[in-house]
Amino acid sequence: MNTVNFVNIPASVFPDQEIVVFGDQRLTYAQLHDRVCRTSAVFKNLGLAQRDVVAVMDTNSEVYIAAYYAAAKCGLTFLPLNYRAKDPELEYMINTAAVKVLLVGERYHEQIRRIRPRLATITALLSTGAPAADFPALRKLTERVAPDETDAEVEDDDVSVLMYTSGTTALPKGVMLSFHDFTAYVTANVEMADGSDRGAALVCVPFYHIAGMVAMMTNVWSGRRLVLMPQFDARDWLGLVERERITHAFVVPTMMKQLLDEPSFSKTDFSTLTNLAYGGAAMPLPVIRRAIKAFPKRVGFVNAYGQTETTSSLTVLGPEDHRLEGSPAEIELKLKRLTSIGRPLPDVEVKIIGEAREALPEGQVGEICIRTPRVMKGYAGRSDDALLSDGFRATGDLGWTDHDNYVYFAGRKDDMIIRGGENIAPAEIETVLVSHPAIEEAAVIGVPSEEWGQTVKAVVALQPGKQASAKELEAFCRARLASFKCPESYEIVESLPKNPLGKILRNELRARLTSAQG
Amino acid sequence: MANVLGKRYQCETCGTEVLCNKAGEGSFMCCETQMKVKEVKPLPSSD
Repeated sequence: MNTVNFVNIPASVFPDQEIVVFGDQRLTYAQLHDRVCRTSAVFKNLGLAQRDVVAVMDTNSEVYIAAYYAAAKCGLTFLPLNYRAKDPELEYMINTAAVKVLLVGERYHEQIRRIRPRLATITALLSTGAPAADFPALRKLTERVAPDETDAEVEDDDVSVLMYTSGTTALPKGVMLSFHDFTAYVTANVEMADGSDRGAALVCVPFYHIAGMVAMMTNVWSGRRLVLMPQFDARDWLGLVERERITHAFVVPTMMKQLLDEPSFSKTDFSTLTNLAYGGAAMPLPVIRRAIKAFPKRVGFVNAYGQTETTSSLTVLGPEDHRLEGSPAEIELKLKRLTSIGRPLPDVEVKIIGEAREALPEGQVGEICIRTPRVMKGYAGRSDDALLSDGFRATGDLGWTDHDNYVYFAGRKDDMIIRGGENIAPAEIETVLVSHPAIEEAAVIGVPSEEWGQTVKAVVALQPGKQASAKELEAFCRARLASFKCPESYEIVESLPKNPLGKILRNELRARLTSAQG
Repeated sequence: MANVLGKRYQCETCGTEVLCNKAGEGSFMCCETQMKVKEVKPLPSSD
């Protein structure tokens, strides 16, 4: 099915229902539909044909949403660009995707101008905001055209969204997600709008992230008012929750911490908020425990683990698992599960495999493999993501499962430390370190060693006003970990380097360490 | 039973799935049998 139907169908039944809010812009389904049809007409006038690529370089807005659905309407591939990308990355993404039309936010005009001479495939640049001499305003063009009423006949397998991974490794990889991937996810997980009040969702993650794109589709299809933030800001977020009567929201761990630290937190009215999901990076246990205490009891927390390659969520840890209530034994079990990424969704199978691709029993760390009908079509221009023979996809993430099928994340496979032939998953040691009352965050990396191949090094940041010596941390780890897993050295730093989603940049830590040694 | 707007229907024989985008009085048939409603399993997430 063409994803433009996520707008078309509700708009034909509930034209006057408000569905998108951005600043002082409030759009009903009919108004959003009109914007989509006009943007589609502009794309066609620019000569775009089915399967051509249109890209957006901008923060979130209602223009972005209309642009995606207009692209779907024309059967185009839509590329949401990471607005934090540096010139070489941006050039790489635009050129390898062969982007024809690029929509650019005002604050990025200068950057695009700078790299423009090296963008060979671009035929038109448009501004999503005010115009410039070399960036005509999309808005002006949409006002002049007649709405396009036709929808492209797309194949389920056609690429709807090309999304470059936010990953922590080398060059970004273009994940090709088809119309089928999105319709399978959306129609399996939410009911279509029915005119009833489905609440309001606050979206502060960028649309170039899979959680942002999926939120754009699930909420529009299900009739949950979509309230957009151009970029996350803790104070604005809290203000919007109160003002827009937000019921659902998604944050990454870094944002959760900023919310808890924001002075206006204690004065915010959370009476409408029922569902606060988090994901995108591993959540430090101290932060989620603090959040559970700080938010009202009626707020249900959800930890979602997924990948761009699998069209979002694979496992979830639901609200019940976040309620730290019951007997001491029950609370202990819940605290343990709080360090997990939950259980597989109904359309996902999980297995853990070892080095020889053999299935591992529960409790053993191996690579997390998944099977779901919404695995990407592949990486653009590459053939290095073959599925295993049984249709499972190796995620590159390490983990283990417990008796009740909860999955525990143990870091990236590439981050695995091998010390004297013993495999050591950094996440296991990091979990122990962050349970220390003085530690705010921790990263464990392997450092080259002549004797062992690699040895374990811990880099930690302390909570404000707290103290801990390397000696004390060593004793703490010795009491809780097998001796070969205990870090051989500790470094205390102000904070750890992270990507915008809060994933720790281990490569940067390793590089910093190497240059310090060199 | 008449089709319901926005619901997905599945043929238990051949696996075909259809989505109702305008309901009338009729009901979907496939492989000579009535198609069954495919229920959504809502996620406990922000979706």
